[in-house]
Amino acid sequence: MTKQEFKQIPVVGALGKPSVINMIRSSLPIIGLIAVCIIFNVLTKGSMWNSRKLILNQVYVVLISATGVFFIMSMGGLDFSQGSILGISSIVVCKLSGINMLLAVIGGVVAGALIGAFNGFFYVNRKIKSFIVTICTMFLFRGFIKYMASNSPVAASMKVYDYDTTGIKLGITAVVLIVSFVVFRFTKFGINLKAIGAGEKAVKFAGVRTDRVKFLIYILAGAITGLAAFVNIVKNGSATANVGNQLETQILIALVLGGMPISGGAKVRFENVIVGSLLYIVLNNGLIMMGLTTQMMQLIQGVIFLIFVAVFADRESLSVIK
Amino acid sequence: MSDIRLQVKDVSKAFGITKALKDVSFNINKGEIHALIGENGSGKSTLTNSLAGIYQKDSGSFILDGKEVNPVNQVEANNEGISIIVQELGTLDGLTVAENIFLGHEDSFVKMGIKNTAAMNRKATELLKKYGFERIKPSDMIENYNFEDRKLIEIVKATYFDPKIVVIDETTTALSREGREELYKHMNRIREEGNTVIFISHDLPEVLKMSDTITVLRDGVYIDTVKSADIDEDGLKKLMVGRDVTGKYYRADYDEKVSDEVVMKVEDVSVPGLISHISFELHKGEILGFGGLSESGMHEIGKACFGASFDREGSVTLSDGTQINDIPTAIEHSIAYTSKDRDNESLVMNQSIRDNICLPSLDDLSNKVHMLSDKKLKEFADLYAKKMSTKMQSVDQFVSNLSGGNKQKVVLARWIGKDSDILLLDSPTRGIDIKVKQDIYQLMDTMRKSGKSIIMISEELMELIGMCDRIIIMKDGKINGELERNKDMDENSLIAKMV
Repeated sequence: MTKQEFKQIPVVGALGKPSVINMIRSSLPIIGLIAVCIIFNVLTKGSMWNSRKLILNQVYVVLISATGVFFIMSMGGLDFSQGSILGISSIVVCKLSGINMLLAVIGGVVAGALIGAFNGFFYVNRKIKSFIVTICTMFLFRGFIKYMASNSPVAASMKVYDYDTTGIKLGITAVVLIVSFVVFRFTKFGINLKAIGAGEKAVKFAGVRTDRVKFLIYILAGAITGLAAFVNIVKNGSATANVGNQLETQILIALVLGGMPISGGAKVRFENVIVGSLLYIVLNNGLIMMGLTTQMMQLIQGVIFLIFVAVFADRESLSVIK
Repeated sequence: MSDIRLQVKDVSKAFGITKALKDVSFNINKGEIHALIGENGSGKSTLTNSLAGIYQKDSGSFILDGKEVNPVNQVEANNEGISIIVQELGTLDGLTVAENIFLGHEDSFVKMGIKNTAAMNRKATELLKKYGFERIKPSDMIENYNFEDRKLIEIVKATYFDPKIVVIDETTTALSREGREELYKHMNRIREEGNTVIFISHDLPEVLKMSDTITVLRDGVYIDTVKSADIDEDGLKKLMVGRDVTGKYYRADYDEKVSDEVVMKVEDVSVPGLISHISFELHKGEILGFGGLSESGMHEIGKACFGASFDREGSVTLSDGTQINDIPTAIEHSIAYTSKDRDNESLVMNQSIRDNICLPSLDDLSNKVHMLSDKKLKEFADLYAKKMSTKMQSVDQFVSNLSGGNKQKVVLARWIGKDSDILLLDSPTRGIDIKVKQDIYQLMDTMRKSGKSIIMISEELMELIGMCDRIIIMKDGKINGELERNKDMDENSLIAKMV
């Protein structure tokens, strides 16, 4: 009995609202994506379309790691440690890439999963709010990264450049997305996740081992970001002290741009990840190509972010961010 | 001078495509207790919530003492002389008792921008004393008090400023016997002072006993206004349902022998602070009732048997020797539980009817490779929602939009879909109208006959007497007596053991 005394009266929910507004709401991200693409292509006189490969190259890491955070946010949690997870995993991938490439991939994934488990332990067993736990681990592991990569970047074996092809990067991204989509949409796990976001106590009473699901989700998100680290190293060849810096913010912005309700729950849709990540990268690159200064860019990004949050925040359940 | 206090004129209100009120018109007099009855979803709460500024009506008017009122929120309604005690909890956590009582009216304690807490607490102490609730301390945080005390605080909050109209929406179901008596006392006092009470309740004997006039709504349409003295319970039922309510209400048999087969054995179960050393056996095909005052610990029995209690001691064992210590194990072994706190513990409110019904059955519905198809889930939910004749547009509708009775139908549909053999029903008919109540009683009877076992925990003694093979009475967390099914049992024999 916490927040809902305030709205004791049956509120008019999803179906009660005029459906036109709901339709506009749900299609806004995709309309936004198309609009942004057209606008920037016109403004840059087509040079954006010409550099599409370059832009796509930036999507992979955000898109893959956003998928893990998407799961976390579906059940109403948050994760600010993704950037640090990517950093640690990237360093592990670099160190192992000299021995065996498969080992490097596995190493990255395991490292990510371990940090995820660390988050999950404090969140589930120690019952600390997820955003507090993950802000702490963000700083903690960022410290490790600085310690290991400050003097000189950790370089990967030259062999990683063999894997720097669109086929491999796109392939890994596609596999992550397809598997995640199927899990989210067509399994018990996915349905339970959304239900936890909508009302954890009742889900517990329906027999779901909610603590186990929550713990697993953090491990899974860590592992997925570990895989993103491999793609990151393939792309960059080495891990600097700043590797993965601010990835967590990029992911959050991408998901919100994609129409993800911040509190998770029943209105979450898988398209949110894909549309949001693309929208974010296109927007970012478009602004760069327009020749805007960094200050100006951040200002514009802030305004756009605010507008999207204002449109999509599910005010009925905002108080339940876990 | 006319006696009319409030004229309701052609009031309409729609939620999306659902018309909750259609051109409702009737009058309410001064100095009366005016009951508003009707089945779930008939528009009673919508009407009173519109009057009290919680909703805005679409058209029509409320004329209070000859002047049209149009409050846009509860504070404005209070200033017009209208107050409301809502169905669910209407007090806010994180505030003190005094702050809750004067919520929205703090201005009278503010001098130069600073709130005078001492003066507020003093005033609250005075009021609580006047109402006879001295044990409640104004400076305590509200969450230190239980559901029932918080309802009493709401009574103070809604009536201390002598409003012209007090709406009491389905409040008695949340109260124990003493709480109800307190409420009745204050309702009568308001009437004697020449003010008006609008009283919403599903408990028809209570309505007949307490009210002077009764207005009946059905599906958002005004049906009739009658004097309580001129009508009886059956007459009211007929007005509410629109036809004669035929068939039996409770089960009719008295001599059936319950099987000796024990399906659940509860041994020496204690939950610190709530129940201590409870032992009993549940038989196959039996309806076992638990009665008592709401603080007697009986509500914890359901949770304890479902493995949902925190810190439980003792054992709950099934006939095959399985120990029930957590919820997933309980559900795997065909145990179902419906909570008294339906909105928090039984249902995921901001989630579709479909997902709510399917949630415990997802394993059964998935195919060989653990995949679920939308079609299958929808069919499953549709089948059981329709079996329970849930009023809905589709199974994709959110549960939060449903009325209380329909929510309960969704909860029951979930467990019927799971085909549970042992049902732990805590207050299954709380806040539910007679038609749905009858459905639930018949459902329980059918289940019993098909060999399923039911534990029914209820504050309504009549339904315990009418439905149960055995009734265990709880008092102060302990078992204080057990009664066998018997034609001549009356409420008094139960009350004697309860207090």
